[in-house]
Amino acid sequence: MEPFNTRRKHWNLFLTATGNLVQRTPFRSAIILISLLAILFPFLTALSISEGIKAQSKISVEEGADFYITGDAGGSSAPLSRTSIDRFQTLPGVSRVVPRIVGRAYLGEQIVTIVGMPETLIVDTLSLMSGRSIQQKGEVIVGASLGRTYDLTEGSRFYLPINRWKRFTVVGTLSPSCTIWSAKLIYMSLEDAGELFRMKDMVTDFLIYANPGDNPVVNIHLQQENRAGLPLRMQSRELIQSYLQKGFDSRTGVLTAFYIVAFALSVPLILVVWGLGSVERKKEIALLKAVGWETLDVIEMALWENVLLSLAGATLAFLLAFLWIKGFNGFFIAQFFLAEPGLVPDFPVPSRFLPITAFMALFLSLALTLTGSLYYTWRTAITPSAELLR
Amino acid sequence: MTIEQGLDTVIRAEGLSKTFRLSRLRKVDALKDVTLAVSKNEYVVFRGPSGSGKTTLLNILGCLGRPSLGRIYLNGEDVTELGEEELCRIRRKNIGFIFQGFNLLPRMSAWENVSIPLIPLGVGERERFLRACALLERLGLQERVHHSPEELSGGEQQRVSVARALINEPDLILADEPTSNIDSDSAYKVLAAFASLRAKGSTLVVATHDHTLFQEVNTVYHLIDGRITDKELKKRP
Repeated sequence: MEPFNTRRKHWNLFLTATGNLVQRTPFRSAIILISLLAILFPFLTALSISEGIKAQSKISVEEGADFYITGDAGGSSAPLSRTSIDRFQTLPGVSRVVPRIVGRAYLGEQIVTIVGMPETLIVDTLSLMSGRSIQQKGEVIVGASLGRTYDLTEGSRFYLPINRWKRFTVVGTLSPSCTIWSAKLIYMSLEDAGELFRMKDMVTDFLIYANPGDNPVVNIHLQQENRAGLPLRMQSRELIQSYLQKGFDSRTGVLTAFYIVAFALSVPLILVVWGLGSVERKKEIALLKAVGWETLDVIEMALWENVLLSLAGATLAFLLAFLWIKGFNGFFIAQFFLAEPGLVPDFPVPSRFLPITAFMALFLSLALTLTGSLYYTWRTAITPSAELLR
Repeated sequence: MTIEQGLDTVIRAEGLSKTFRLSRLRKVDALKDVTLAVSKNEYVVFRGPSGSGKTTLLNILGCLGRPSLGRIYLNGEDVTELGEEELCRIRRKNIGFIFQGFNLLPRMSAWENVSIPLIPLGVGERERFLRACALLERLGLQERVHHSPEELSGGEQQRVSVARALINEPDLILADEPTSNIDSDSAYKVLAAFASLRAKGSTLVVATHDHTLFQEVNTVYHLIDGRITDKELKKRP
């Protein structure tokens, strides 16, 4: 009888499991890996895109104004007089007030968002890929996606037909690294936007920036303005952040719920795949037991097989998701998360690969493979060998 | 019938019966009231026609199956009620089993098959390989070390199965038709291996029809329809 070496035993079982997967049953291992990839890869891709959008939203909100003020007309947003700027600018704690006109228009077949701001402030706000900022009326800066789609470069001219035909000249293009919401934006001067949307002397909203630490003071004064007769709708950065968080939580919840259903449906698939060669497996376990392997030894070997398969499956799914987003720009999958028609978005799809995503992939992978095999292995291992070898 | 436990008794079976239930109404009595004892270094043969219960008896003596009735003692210890895991440990420690159908793992090479019992004992791969090779060489399979079972003849597969049973150096070898369906050269090598084992003090229990295996036998039990009908003493152990 051999002296017992526990550490060596676990190492032996690990090596045997590796040999089973790689040398002895490579076909079955490949099928299980493909099944795992088919289940995990879309999930990881979707989750990473969702996290990417969430991160960009957070940046947009954090880099934006402290308060967004519009007029209030019976509970709906309404334009405000441009002269209101004087009232806001003089409020204690306010460092800067930016008037803005935001509207939507068709450019060719695409709906674009038009943002009109004072020319002097545009230069502070934007990150340009090429060209310069707006210096006079009739000049615009376009988003990278729009620029690519319509071949709009510096000096290009185009018409926007809204209330009247108006000609614009492109002087700059936004950097593609800007948030996805900038991809289809057109920046222009406040005057141009006013003419375009027939909002002379009016703005759709004011962006109010507070001095550091003065947000509560500004908040109180804005509410006093509201009570004093200027009907306002006010949204603070914190409020927007909480809306976004709720929205993303709900989206992630829907995604997770969808995947739990997909997961439940895929368990039988994995069971079928594990069932390949189950007769052979049963005989193998019976023989191992007959020559003196204990049930725990058999289970440990099966566990190593599952862990190795899960690790390989999760890693491959993670790498494939990464490649899919970075290499193929989220082909097909991104359209479910972005308001972007077509299979491939024409701007870089935002993504974020978090450790928790990798952990979830591994967890799901393990759950799938263990569900498929561990119970079966245990049941077989506790059956007397003579019955199985008969 | 009872048999006294001698100091050198390796196996003692008392009133063993085994019933297989095929369905709710149908059952088969594979063993009926079998009582026997096997001493240390004894060479025992179970002889009988097909379906006489030889394999069932061997399985029960080798702790691979449980009797429906009766008790079984191994080296004086009652193993009838032991749990599956304790029986595993006993098989690993005391028993080498040679199966009629070889039961080799098809995706493992000859040496890997031989070394399977050593894996959970924590024996390193190199040592497993060397020990398996030494045994395979003794059985004339030095050229077949890396071959898979499907690349081996029936006789070669049986010799690999014999090597696997011997790798742990057990003191009790149970062999179920070890020379059936193999060529005479292979049968001769298996016999030589058995002779060598006995010389080292192992106990050998064989179920067979093959008369060549009766040459050095001490006791022959005749089984018919699950009963021992005759006990033939050939040589003293």
